[in-house]
Amino acid sequence: MESKRLIYLDNAATTFPKPKGMLDRMVAEYADIGVSPGRGGYDLAAAAEDALTKARRTLALFFNAPDPRRVIFTANATDSLNLAISGFLKAGDHVITTRLEHNSVLRPLYHLQQTGQITVSTVPFDGHGFIDPADIERAIRARTRLVIVNHASNVLGTVQPVSAVGDISADHGVALLVDASQSAGQVHVDMEAMRASAVAFTGHKSLYGPTGTGGLVLRPDMAVMPVRFGGTGVDSKSMNHTMDFPHRLEAGTHNLMGIIGLRLAVEDLQAEGVATIHARKMKLTRRLVDGLTSIDGITVYGADRLDRHLAVVTVNVDGVDPMDVGAILDADFDIAVRVGLHCAPLVHADLGTGERGAVRFSLGRFNTEADIDRAVDAMARIARL
Amino acid sequence: MSTDGLPPDAEPMRDRQLRTVAGRSIYFDWEGFFWDPQDWNEAIALALARESGMEGLDDNQWRVIRFMREFYFYHGRAPKNKDLRKGTGMPLMALESLFPQGIRKGARRLAGLPNPKACL
Repeated sequence: MESKRLIYLDNAATTFPKPKGMLDRMVAEYADIGVSPGRGGYDLAAAAEDALTKARRTLALFFNAPDPRRVIFTANATDSLNLAISGFLKAGDHVITTRLEHNSVLRPLYHLQQTGQITVSTVPFDGHGFIDPADIERAIRARTRLVIVNHASNVLGTVQPVSAVGDISADHGVALLVDASQSAGQVHVDMEAMRASAVAFTGHKSLYGPTGTGGLVLRPDMAVMPVRFGGTGVDSKSMNHTMDFPHRLEAGTHNLMGIIGLRLAVEDLQAEGVATIHARKMKLTRRLVDGLTSIDGITVYGADRLDRHLAVVTVNVDGVDPMDVGAILDADFDIAVRVGLHCAPLVHADLGTGERGAVRFSLGRFNTEADIDRAVDAMARIARL
Repeated sequence: MSTDGLPPDAEPMRDRQLRTVAGRSIYFDWEGFFWDPQDWNEAIALALARESGMEGLDDNQWRVIRFMREFYFYHGRAPKNKDLRKGTGMPLMALESLFPQGIRKGARRLAGLPNPKACL
């Protein structure tokens, strides 16, 4: 148990480390053009605006979205989801979502439900961690206006059949909002193929961008109204906030350095290839699952179908509090994992782990076979306690 | 099959609870952690240990408890994982085994430190 380098297996929370080249280029570019984008008639302000436009184009291509002007920059996926939910729903609307959602979806919906503004139906997931699109179809009512689906569970790692949900939603004239917090950068998120009206993503997870970045990508059929109002650099005479995209949903000065970093991170990811990185991580995930399932006293959740899975494995050790497992992994083995409910209380309630949660291992692109072997060895020793 | 409505808040009651231990009335939280670490004394720690099925507290257990309290009051926070390992001179695996209820619910609770902030 001698001290070794930290094995970071909490990439589903935030990927770490970030590619150093991206960070260096981000700082250098920001040092050159870090003024208020689009505000002012001088060339440097136009250059800063160009940096935002370039990032919008990069992200629109990455998500196969039709209009870069409808790539809205936000602070993170929670910000994006709140914007989409509050800016789209109206009094009397019905929403369908799943029991796999993160609190970034559940809590805004719960607030609107408890204040009597909307009604909500939830669909379950099966014993393998997947929803059934037919459940979504059966839940549609006359007042249903939005379906929200977590593309990939942050607890189980299971990738949901969103294209089938998209077909159902489109056929019924209901908008589909996809939470791509976990999936973006791990598997291809294609808005057209999914027939998604909106995709919410964050920059700091598997896109390997900086924290404080994220976005909401919209198709023209999803009319999200502003929920924040203020300076945009356009139509300044009017007391009304502009309805033009992207300014409609972006008030105030942007996180320019973060957005530059986000674009560079996506370019860096594309240079190596999302599918290539994913295949490598899933090979390690298979190694981790095989190792953990071979240990007596460890329960592995939702990892029997790795063909539709992210590099996320959630477990418990019989008789040991998940928080203690995390502490032991950290102090004795230099392994960082995430314990608890992972901000997804309904998933844990259905797994029977709603009281204390579980231990989540989530792999990143810089993990190695040796990291996985050390994690399995550590868990075997903890399970023998 | 869908369910109508997001379920009502399943959050457990997180109010403090007053009860008498070793002759003193003390507030505890919903999991039996001291509400105020200043309420702790050795007699109460011993009573709580017995409540949880331990016969008493041995020298090693007292050493851990005292380290945790000294660290807490000196630094104004509980020891981090590696502080705990270094300060007790004990791997956390050993500490887990030393207290039947483990590190958090065993050592930390008996030492009178607050319930750690967690994603629960």
